[in-house]
Amino acid sequence: MNKALSQKFRFFTFICIALLAYVHGYNLNNTYLAPYSTVEEPLTVTSFFEYFIANGLLRFRIPMLFIISGYLYATYDHRPYLQQIQKRFKTLIIPFFLWSAAGLVFTFLLQQFTYTSDVVYTAGIDQLGDNRPYTEIGWDGMLRRWLLHPVSYQLWFIVSLFIYNLIYPVIRWLVVKIPFIWLPLTFLLFFSLFQFIYVDGRGIFFFSLGIWLQKKKISIDRQPEWFSAGLAFILFIGLTVIKTFMAFELEPNQFSTILTLVIFYQLSVITGIVAMWFGLDKVVRWALRKKWFYKASGFSFFLYGAHVPLLPYAMTMALMELSFLPYYRLFCYIVIPGLIVVLCIWIGRFIRKFLPGVYSTLTGSRGF
Amino acid sequence: MPVPLVRFVYMRKLMLLAVLLNGLLAYAQQGYTFNRISTDDALGLSSNAVYCTYQDKKGYIWVGTANGLQRFDGSKFVSFGNSDPGSTLLPISDLTQIIPGENGMFWLFFASRFEIGLFDPVSFRYNTVPVTPSKPIPARNNMKLWKDRHENLYLIIWKYGILRYNKVTHSFSDENPFPLPNGWVSSIGVFEDTIKKQIWFPCPDSGLALYDLASKKMYSSSYNPLHIPLLDNKKIIPGNTEIFIDSRRRHWVFNWTSAQHKWCFDERGNILKDTAGINDNREYSELANFFETKQQVLWVYGANALFNFDNDDKRFFFYKPGLTSETGIPYHSAHYIMEDRDGSIWVSTDNGLFFATPESGTYGVVNILFDERKGGVDFTDLIQLRSGEYWLSTWGKGVITLNKNFNTYKAGIYEHMPKMDPVSFSQYNQAWALYQHTDGKVWIGCQAGKYIVFDTITKKSVFTELKEAEGATIRFITGDKNGNIWFSTQRGHIIFYDGKKFTVVQQFGTIIPKILIDNNRLLWLATFNQGLYCLSADGKTVLKHYTSDSKENALFINSGDDIDQINDTTIAYGAGALNLINTRTGKVTWRTFDEGLPGNSIRRIRADRNGNLWIITRNGLCKYNPRTNRFTPYGRKDGITLANMTAAADFISDEDYILFAGSNGLMYFMPSLFENKKPPANVTITDFKLFNDYLPLDSLLKRPKLEFNADENSFSIYFSSLSYSQKEKLTYYYKMDGVDKGWTKADRQNFVNYPLLPPGHYTFSIYCENIDGIRSKEITSFEIYIKPPFWKTYWFVSTLLLIILLFIYALHRLRVNKLLAVEKIRNRVARDLHDDMGSTLSTINILSTMAKSKLNSDNVKTSEFISKISENSQRMMEAMDDIVWSIKPMNDSMQKIIARMREYATNILEAKDIELLFNIEEEVNDVKLDMEARRDFFLIFKEAVNNAAKYSKSEIVKISLLINNKQLTLEVIDDGEGFDVAHADSGNGLSNMQKRADAMQGRLQITSKKGSGTTVKLAVPFK
Repeated sequence: MNKALSQKFRFFTFICIALLAYVHGYNLNNTYLAPYSTVEEPLTVTSFFEYFIANGLLRFRIPMLFIISGYLYATYDHRPYLQQIQKRFKTLIIPFFLWSAAGLVFTFLLQQFTYTSDVVYTAGIDQLGDNRPYTEIGWDGMLRRWLLHPVSYQLWFIVSLFIYNLIYPVIRWLVVKIPFIWLPLTFLLFFSLFQFIYVDGRGIFFFSLGIWLQKKKISIDRQPEWFSAGLAFILFIGLTVIKTFMAFELEPNQFSTILTLVIFYQLSVITGIVAMWFGLDKVVRWALRKKWFYKASGFSFFLYGAHVPLLPYAMTMALMELSFLPYYRLFCYIVIPGLIVVLCIWIGRFIRKFLPGVYSTLTGSRGF
Repeated sequence: MPVPLVRFVYMRKLMLLAVLLNGLLAYAQQGYTFNRISTDDALGLSSNAVYCTYQDKKGYIWVGTANGLQRFDGSKFVSFGNSDPGSTLLPISDLTQIIPGENGMFWLFFASRFEIGLFDPVSFRYNTVPVTPSKPIPARNNMKLWKDRHENLYLIIWKYGILRYNKVTHSFSDENPFPLPNGWVSSIGVFEDTIKKQIWFPCPDSGLALYDLASKKMYSSSYNPLHIPLLDNKKIIPGNTEIFIDSRRRHWVFNWTSAQHKWCFDERGNILKDTAGINDNREYSELANFFETKQQVLWVYGANALFNFDNDDKRFFFYKPGLTSETGIPYHSAHYIMEDRDGSIWVSTDNGLFFATPESGTYGVVNILFDERKGGVDFTDLIQLRSGEYWLSTWGKGVITLNKNFNTYKAGIYEHMPKMDPVSFSQYNQAWALYQHTDGKVWIGCQAGKYIVFDTITKKSVFTELKEAEGATIRFITGDKNGNIWFSTQRGHIIFYDGKKFTVVQQFGTIIPKILIDNNRLLWLATFNQGLYCLSADGKTVLKHYTSDSKENALFINSGDDIDQINDTTIAYGAGALNLINTRTGKVTWRTFDEGLPGNSIRRIRADRNGNLWIITRNGLCKYNPRTNRFTPYGRKDGITLANMTAAADFISDEDYILFAGSNGLMYFMPSLFENKKPPANVTITDFKLFNDYLPLDSLLKRPKLEFNADENSFSIYFSSLSYSQKEKLTYYYKMDGVDKGWTKADRQNFVNYPLLPPGHYTFSIYCENIDGIRSKEITSFEIYIKPPFWKTYWFVSTLLLIILLFIYALHRLRVNKLLAVEKIRNRVARDLHDDMGSTLSTINILSTMAKSKLNSDNVKTSEFISKISENSQRMMEAMDDIVWSIKPMNDSMQKIIARMREYATNILEAKDIELLFNIEEEVNDVKLDMEARRDFFLIFKEAVNNAAKYSKSEIVKISLLINNKQLTLEVIDDGEGFDVAHADSGNGLSNMQKRADAMQGRLQITSKKGSGTTVKLAVPFK
């Protein structure tokens, strides 16, 4: 892997995770966003902007992270399988349990005070839909939340990734031996929105694609000749805008609506990946020349683990306190995720400096 | 609107008025005031044969008629059903029972069809439920659905027995869980005693049976170990058909022998006398049903029978069937009684649906009608004495005196009447005005200036004449705070009496029916045809005179009957409409029919203690609340029936009763009776009409939002609070967010139209307010979304924009590519000119210089130089020719290339005497090569042919142009001496060929061996 590609990976890993805050900071009425989610509130600047960003423009991130993961795993697959799995357990599963526990403890602490307890309840992010205090839910419920349904709901990604790593030999065989069957099949899975607990049907296509690109030695560090940045960005943004308007205007809960939204969503994701990956080369070079960016990008994983449930609680609190402001939802949506990203990086810096062992365990030894 | 029927309302205190009152028979009878709803009312009742009613949780009244099921929302009936032959849908037939089922469904029983079904009031779906009796049903199949408190449903069939609904088989079958003694068959009058958890079965042929739910034992006269008294009572054994236990634990048992006998027992089996009045109907009747209201009013009804038990009087009141009766309602058979959630009573009869509000039957309003056939009576004035008695002056019958309980008593006014001529006697009995002075004496103004002063202490009367009245009738007497007495007369005298002498202070020459002395001691005079006067406290000065002719502050009309003071600054004058006079500013404002006054014909005005005005108009009674500026009419539904007959006098008693009296009528009530402290029920959207089609509202409103297409944009929304007693007294306020800026007061039609709404999101909200300003608890609202046509959607517009953007971008790219292509050509031509021409011209320049220098000295060299110059210039010409040829667009076709290739090869090879075989496949002509590829292709060909001609020493050169695997393939094969390709000097020739082949993304293959000729093969992809 050449330096340019390595730098691109670093840049996009950080960007994808940092932008995650703007997906999880979505504060419209219906907070769960699926590709086919419609918006059950009037079309306003706030509602359009938030949906456009959170359920459109930034949805290229997770697929891109899967591509990067697949590519990287394929690059180092000459190492023994067990050794790889051991390493992944350390870098994925142990952080999962730690961050899940941290989210649980943080929530529990907030539940001990009236005001913050209200914030937790109003945020309503419990993955089992039961937002009662943990003292009422009991140990069994807490155990389920720790191991299976973390309040830090973003952690599904690393578990999903670990599962892909576990079955990597199979995926690699399929990618290498029958790519023309496997890749279209997984592409269909990507469109079908298949998901089973932690196995994300959408992710397996991009993970496989990453492996295929690496195995075929296809150059992805520079723009291909056929690529037109202008065309890619016009398509990406245009499709996202159309899909956003459709989410407001199409009839909810109709199959035709769901199908249309899913198709536009996935097209937007694909064009987004292509546009961002090949169209931001100058930005990548510029950013990585900046010292602050380079340093900040070292905290990607810490930011990933820490931003939820911090962000939903902070967002809820901000909405409660700032409701007197005009456009307070939009204001909160723009400001709070940014603040949380900065805060997480600072906390990460602090822990890395003063508790390097803890930091290393939390991040799977990333970012040193 | 429901049509009020003859009505009379009972008041407990007035029972004794049903006696001769000064020779007049006055009726004041008990009972509810019923209003009739029939097919004539244009409300949509489909048949006057109404069998049953049921109020659902929303408040709709569901009605079973001879024409099937209907729903009533207070404004209209909506029919459900289908009468198509063979249809399995809800039948339009005699619907005799509606019983609530599970999940909001109804059980419907069509007795004449022997059909039971379940009806879903949300989806309007109906499914029949099979009834599978094991034996044939007897011909006289009187039957009834009955539900116990555990929601078990039974079908009781006369002379057959009981079928039970089985949820598993979804049918009614002979699963009778009640072990009646052998041969005992229950009538349909089964009763469940929920307190003792027992079920009573009246068995006409056998006696009473009692099933104890706890012990699951059946008791009867044949098995009565507990000695239950009623089971052994021989009087009721034969033919008992009905039993009912009311909340007072009275056991009502009816049985038939030769006629129907009605019994009432206490718990121990002792006979009670509470059946009093139940046999008042001398016609044939069948009392078959019981009903007890939440207020513990017991109703018994059936064929030719409708009774309610008066708990105070301890006897039944009978509602006489037929219109001829003043208290009756025109029914022949009362089928069913229901109490709605407001406490109104609904009676289903064979002649329409009747309902009565609780106010009309709870001793609230007293209406006393004096029988005109007995001579009638015209009340002219009424007062309450300080001692509490009520006195009423009459025209022709003197003064009627009633004690506090409204019983007549003899006051002795006329007892010691001196002898006088008959005219004077008559005039003293034509009393017009009553006033009690602070000294206790009562002044009675009479006809022709006569008046009586009755001393309530000595009980003596003074009969005299007011000379100052000049023989005019005294119309009104009142007193001021100083103890002075004021009189008005029929001819306009205003006479002042200070205890010593009478003084005429004004003479207006018209009838003055009322004098009001306001809080500032000013006198206000209502007049006939002369407007309203305001006099100074001494009456001598007219301070203000309001008339209808005034340019400013005009009255509605000049003639007025009554006047009252609302507050310190407002005088209410009833002259046509309500004229409100501001005493400070003198400003007059009207309240008319347009503002809700029942009619611009006010007869009486009386302010109550809360500052509301009670107004009698020719169109009935209303209340005016000056704070809300709202009129509330009261009519028969409220128990007010004699408003039009009580328009001559009014009074407010110490107990705050408002009294009105007039021609043959006296009415009074407590204003607080009509106060409603409870919030009205939330407003229900009763119908939604899109253009002219009613939509299935219940299922529609289950959606979070009503969605319509762009052309479905005109609709009417119907609403009602589903409070039938308060219906006319509720004010609705609605708002459509997106259209209305604020709340709009609805008119009395209970619907609102929204025509041609543009696409968008709307929220319709509505609430109601009762007359006391109390709002419904919740605002009813729902969202409406009118979808824009797709070409007006943002997603469509943005799609168009994206396409336009892509098109513009494509054009831009095209333009840029074109510029780049031109630039590329220019670069290439410049390069070619530089590479091919520049170096050759330099060579020629050098050679010519050298030839010039050797011209005179060395002819051989010079000749050699000139020869080289000639060769170079020849080559340059050829190169120039190639450049020009490749640029020319006319040479773009493959035919041109081939022609040039053929020409070139022929020229070269013929000169060397080499035979040329030129083979071209037909398809080659269709190949298109771009300018550069064409040139490169030709130059490779040229080089190959040139090499063959120059170096191969061959005799034959074969040139082939083929299409092979979608590639244009050129083969130049000679049979010359060949060469070693591996060790050949590549020189410019071969390397240039390779470069040009690469530029075309083609493949060049040169095969040669010494002695076996050379093959040059070029394969070029093409589009």
